[in-house]
Amino acid sequence: MTFIVPIGPQHPALKEPAFFRFEVKGEEIADVDIRFGYVHRGIEEALQRRDYKHDVYLIERICGICNVVHTTTYCQAIEQLAGVEPPERAKYIRVIILELERIHSHLLWLGIAAHQIGFNTLFMLAWRDRERVMDLREIISGNRVTSATNTIGGVRRDVKPEHVPTILRGLDELEHSTKYYIDLFNSDRTILARCTNVGILTKDDARKFCAVGPLARASGVDTDIRRDHPYAIYDKLSFNVITEREGDVWAKSMVRLREILEAIHIVRQAVKEMPIGPIRIKVNLEIPRNEAIERTEAPRGELFYYALSNGTDSPERVHVRTPTCANFASIKRMFLGGTVAEIPIVIWSIDPCFACNDRVALVDSHTGKTFNLSLKELRKWRH
Amino acid sequence: MPRILPQVLRNLLRKPATVKYPQVRVEPPKGYRGRPVVDPERCISCWLCIRTCPARAITISKETKKPSIWLGRCIFCGECAEVCPARAITMTKEFEFTTLR
Amino acid sequence: MEVLSFILGSLVFPGLLFASLIGLLYIGIDRKVTGHMQNRIGPPIWQEFLDVGKLLSKEDITPGAAQSPIFTAAPLVALGAAVTVMLLIPVSSPQPTLTMVADLIVIIYLLNIPAICMMLGGYSSGSPFGATGAGRHVAQLFGYEFVFIIAILVAVVRVGSLGLPTIVNYQAQQGWLILDWRLLPAAIAALVAIQGKLLRVPFDIPEAESEIVHGSLTEYSGPKLAIWRLAYDVETIVVAGLFAALFLGGPTAYVIGGVQIPSIVDFLIKTLAIVLLTTTLRNIMARLRIDQALKFYWTSATLLAIISLVLVLVVP
Ligand code: SF4
Ligand code: SF4
Repeated sequence: MTFIVPIGPQHPALKEPAFFRFEVKGEEIADVDIRFGYVHRGIEEALQRRDYKHDVYLIERICGICNVVHTTTYCQAIEQLAGVEPPERAKYIRVIILELERIHSHLLWLGIAAHQIGFNTLFMLAWRDRERVMDLREIISGNRVTSATNTIGGVRRDVKPEHVPTILRGLDELEHSTKYYIDLFNSDRTILARCTNVGILTKDDARKFCAVGPLARASGVDTDIRRDHPYAIYDKLSFNVITEREGDVWAKSMVRLREILEAIHIVRQAVKEMPIGPIRIKVNLEIPRNEAIERTEAPRGELFYYALSNGTDSPERVHVRTPTCANFASIKRMFLGGTVAEIPIVIWSIDPCFACNDRVALVDSHTGKTFNLSLKELRKWRH
Repeated sequence: MPRILPQVLRNLLRKPATVKYPQVRVEPPKGYRGRPVVDPERCISCWLCIRTCPARAITISKETKKPSIWLGRCIFCGECAEVCPARAITMTKEFEFTTLR
Repeated sequence: MEVLSFILGSLVFPGLLFASLIGLLYIGIDRKVTGHMQNRIGPPIWQEFLDVGKLLSKEDITPGAAQSPIFTAAPLVALGAAVTVMLLIPVSSPQPTLTMVADLIVIIYLLNIPAICMMLGGYSSGSPFGATGAGRHVAQLFGYEFVFIIAILVAVVRVGSLGLPTIVNYQAQQGWLILDWRLLPAAIAALVAIQGKLLRVPFDIPEAESEIVHGSLTEYSGPKLAIWRLAYDVETIVVAGLFAALFLGGPTAYVIGGVQIPSIVDFLIKTLAIVLLTTTLRNIMARLRIDQALKFYWTSATLLAIISLVLVLVVP
């Protein structure tokens, strides 16, 4: 007997609305149907109606957790359009905040992953340590979450020399606790029981479904935009790309935890080697027709921006492809053959961010069918 | 023995990491981007802030021709404070805007 | 007179009122200690009173698919069963309020009623989460109940009586059963079974909130949910009290430095210790999957209990 377990649109396992319709035989998952679009906000269209500078703040709100990587990618794309290069110090500051963001995103992930497998103590401890990163970001940028640091042509706020010891001290504490969590994931029997051999994505599947970021790296695909197509100053820093072979939830956790250590290492280098100099340059934002593509490594994987200018001070088109969007192709493969108990941790193992992911889907509310519109029909529909 | 047990028992004796918020307040650090306030004395009515505000949160009052900030729209980016030539706008550390009425 | 004292016993002491007050208080302590274990402040100790009080005053929403008498009756029957067991275990003296022959068997039966009510409530709620939770609960019941019964059997065999008062009196003369090395494995197995009975991590599988919302209780709200909470809190005290009577010597009166300490204090201390032990256990582990939990119960835990049983039978 199969019956339907609806996970979503509102469900404790989901931090944002999405709809997973599981067909379940007893405890075993037979099929899954995934539906998104509950938090579509029409940001790409809104971006075309504002000017380049105001867009930065709208871009920042695509995703709360990884706002800096969004603005960095956008600013880099626009700088590329305008043919300017931000000052060296600005690039260092961008990297510092980007890596602090990676640490906080991965710690947040760790906390919720622990909650999904019912380990609430680890959840609370991970979030306690995440507060350290939030404090550092607050000192540097003036706010815990939305940093409002990036602007086209550099950054708005300098990392002051008196902040450097505080940052280093905070990093030391974080390193200590991250090592503890790695140890815990290696040795705690209940965590191992829940995470190993669950939600496996093989290397071939990861390649086939074009997985990105930690999801791909946990399956043994050696990919990292920071190393493969260095932006900002990543080519001057030394860091390892973390990969694991197993492809299960445990490997995904391990990749993220060990990436925190790498991120701490990167911030230390960047803070020490930061050159003295200006932090922003003036950019003429009446950009002639040009197009640009920019890729960065967000905490969740490859983030892709496409920007097209048309001679005015607002973009003709900005397109965003977020890592979650790329990773959802793999999720069905990870569910099949699993049990209901694995649903939350497997959904969370790709670190989904539905709000950045949502696109418009046209669904006939009577039959439940989705359909596509041609460009001509879409134009007609708009008027 | 579970690996986390010593940590859990040690936590029993430690000071909690959280605070009782409304009674105990944590002061935000220097440079925090809280509520922006306009000093009408210093303002020279150049209206640069209005053009800069990405959230279109700044309006001009009819009588005084001075800007006023609509906190319902403000996103606390600090652009207005940065752009103001007379330094009439400052970002305070205030972050609690809900009120009991 | 007899009838009056019985009514008083079931409604006030050690029945409904006393059991609810202590249950709510202990769960409050449990939540506070959990908070500190997780390095946060945690709710105030009387938070559980506030929660249940608020739930009682809320509107009762019953989904259309759950309009059956079973759905309404389930929490009340569960609470009733838990309170009845309270009358059967020794609280303020080795002698419980109600005595009967072979009361342990009655206790074992009655202690299953809250779990069965929860399943019925879950199945009749018409929600897939309720059904899944109830299904898991059935499976888990078969896991822990077996271990629990064997562990109790060990104590029964050791003392040679099915009556709780006899077991408590035996311990008053011969020392606590848990201090006997032959019974220690059984006590540990019983503790593990209690963890599953009280649906605490790592065995909170039937109400795993991140998986199936709240399991069988998903569709309950308002006063009905409050009664469920109350039933759960009373059940906690009852199970802890039973464990104390079986292995920790039950309520005994002491004289320390000339001051007479009544046995009710002893009861409170021992049950609190057991509740805190389960609190610690639930804070140091992740939730298991149902198959892993069953495997654990049917291998390690059963083995522990059976070893103890064999030891008690073989070693004089
Ligand atoms: S930018 Fe400054 S001076 Fe100009 S209108 Fe705004 S507040 Fe007044
Ligand atoms: S802080 Fe930003 S959003 Fe708020 S008024 Fe100033 S410019 Fe506008």
